[in-house]
Amino acid sequence: MQQQYDVVVVGAGFAGPVAAKKCAEAGLKTLMLERSENPGEKVISGLTIPVYGFLFGPSFIRDGNPPIERPVDGIRNYVIYDIKTSDIDIVELRIPRPLSPVMAFGYNAYCKPFIEWEVKKALESGAELRTSTTAVDVIRENGCIKGIVTDRGENIRAGIVINCEGSQGILAVKAGIREKYPPEAISLADTYDYECPKEVIDKVFGHTLRFCWGFDEQMIAPPLGHGNGLMSWPYRNSIHWMQDQCLALDRGQVPNLVRLFDEYHENITSQLPWWRDEIAPYAGMRARMWEGFEIFVGLDDRLRNLPNVADGMILVGDAAGLESTGLCDGVPAAWFSADIAADVAIEALKADDTSAAFLKKYAKRMKAHPIIQWTITCRGRWNLRKAQESHQRKDLKGGVNYQFGPGILTHVGTPLTRCILGAMRKDLLVMSKWVKMFIRYYYNWEHERFGGERLSERPGVKGTQGLALLLFNIVVIVLSPLSLVLAWLLAPLAWAVNPFNKLLQPLIELVLRGWIKMEPLFRSLTTLTINSVKQSNPSIFNISK
Amino acid sequence: MVGKSQKFPGVEWVGDTGNFIRIDEAKCTGCSNCLKVCLGRCFEIRNKLAAIKSLDECMECAACWYVCGEGAVDFSWPPGGTGYRSDWG
Repeated sequence: MQQQYDVVVVGAGFAGPVAAKKCAEAGLKTLMLERSENPGEKVISGLTIPVYGFLFGPSFIRDGNPPIERPVDGIRNYVIYDIKTSDIDIVELRIPRPLSPVMAFGYNAYCKPFIEWEVKKALESGAELRTSTTAVDVIRENGCIKGIVTDRGENIRAGIVINCEGSQGILAVKAGIREKYPPEAISLADTYDYECPKEVIDKVFGHTLRFCWGFDEQMIAPPLGHGNGLMSWPYRNSIHWMQDQCLALDRGQVPNLVRLFDEYHENITSQLPWWRDEIAPYAGMRARMWEGFEIFVGLDDRLRNLPNVADGMILVGDAAGLESTGLCDGVPAAWFSADIAADVAIEALKADDTSAAFLKKYAKRMKAHPIIQWTITCRGRWNLRKAQESHQRKDLKGGVNYQFGPGILTHVGTPLTRCILGAMRKDLLVMSKWVKMFIRYYYNWEHERFGGERLSERPGVKGTQGLALLLFNIVVIVLSPLSLVLAWLLAPLAWAVNPFNKLLQPLIELVLRGWIKMEPLFRSLTTLTINSVKQSNPSIFNISK
Repeated sequence: MVGKSQKFPGVEWVGDTGNFIRIDEAKCTGCSNCLKVCLGRCFEIRNKLAAIKSLDECMECAACWYVCGEGAVDFSWPPGGTGYRSDWG
């Protein structure tokens, strides 16, 4: 039986619903195909979605109420020289109080509920969803992809296919568009989920991620290298824990990871002081999972430039090799690329031209996206491996600082500034929306109020916060012509942010360290800020649709 | 049929996957790379060559496919609605 759609989206993960929603909103008959029975149940991650994903990604996520597990204020890195003698340095990158935790560095989330929320939004916009359906092949006519063949033997025809199938890219490989990645581009992530009382997590982690890095013999993460570490994420009532291992071969051989993952996990959980003493007595393992993902594809020129379009198909997110080589996150690039893919698909169908030549608009826009390009080409994590091998304390600490500490400002500053200025040019009120997002997300986290677009008013709350936000909105509106002019004027200078930050790096680090040390002085202000948001009337930070 | 694992709590495996991973004996050199990366212990060595022991605890990570330098491992997705699932990813 043949069925005809304008757009078929393969995969309902983080990217698929974003593309499907936009296409459906444009009036296109859109179908999502998902191989799992329930969306999100095959997606494994230790997940902080960095804040730039929310700031510059799809507006329905920025302006909505997706389910998050905890706002994150930054990363506390444990640089381990000798775990037995607790010879450990700490490198910290954190938004200080009282800005945080309301102003967040990112948001932790379980994949399944977040993806279910995204899918719900796509369905509300008119997209269709078919679960328990695996795309096994493409329909080709005169070389052009014209739809999908499913494992149920269905031929689903489409004007265009948006492929969001994920890291392995089985469909794209089978269709001859891309190729199987070499093992040195792949990371195998052994992931644990521990239940732990919220008050213990609040006390030990607060809102800060904890990462561990060490010389090889410290057995922090399995020994093949290329920048491996151990990462832990505080969720609401649980902790995610991941040891990941690049699959690079040594003379054709891979170490016995089955044995080593167990050994290293036992080593670190029994010796890492804060885990052993402060978490382990209260934590119980709820789940252990693992996943392979394409961590270093972007660092290889040839792999990075593999086609991400073909006649009749656009590849998005992990399926296009967009996993971040630095922070190891894939969600923001998945959202950005899905958004761009939907725009190009809509244009292509309107022009009645879905040829690869037309779809190269997508490739061009991807190359022009400052954060996508930064995330897939950043070598900080890769270079950590050299430091782990070198056994030079300075190198290891410096490498951690560069990628996961304040040093990141020397390479993320320019792309971030470009995106901020670009967003200000496109939407005069975007700053107001960002502020509302931070407040809404924190409010929803505190009250566990997710999903609803319209939060009802809570009785008994005072209106001062609403007044403050209204005044802020007025200021944004009044100053918007000026901010627009500034955004245009400053855009050509954005390149200078990275070198400027590099020049001022010692000063920036000094200020940041000093501010964090002085945080106790801001305790009252922090409490006031948090309570103010908690007691807000939630209607004040809704975005009018 | 839904399977569970003592070693990997929080994950369920829905059966009837079929043989979505296959090994081409003609290409396999018996290097054991697939055994060494498979946390689900899906492989074994039989007559000096890799063979599928059971896909009951496969997480579909494709690590076996990536580390096989000979191209002897053929990896595809299991049928829709089958294979692993978890609420805790």
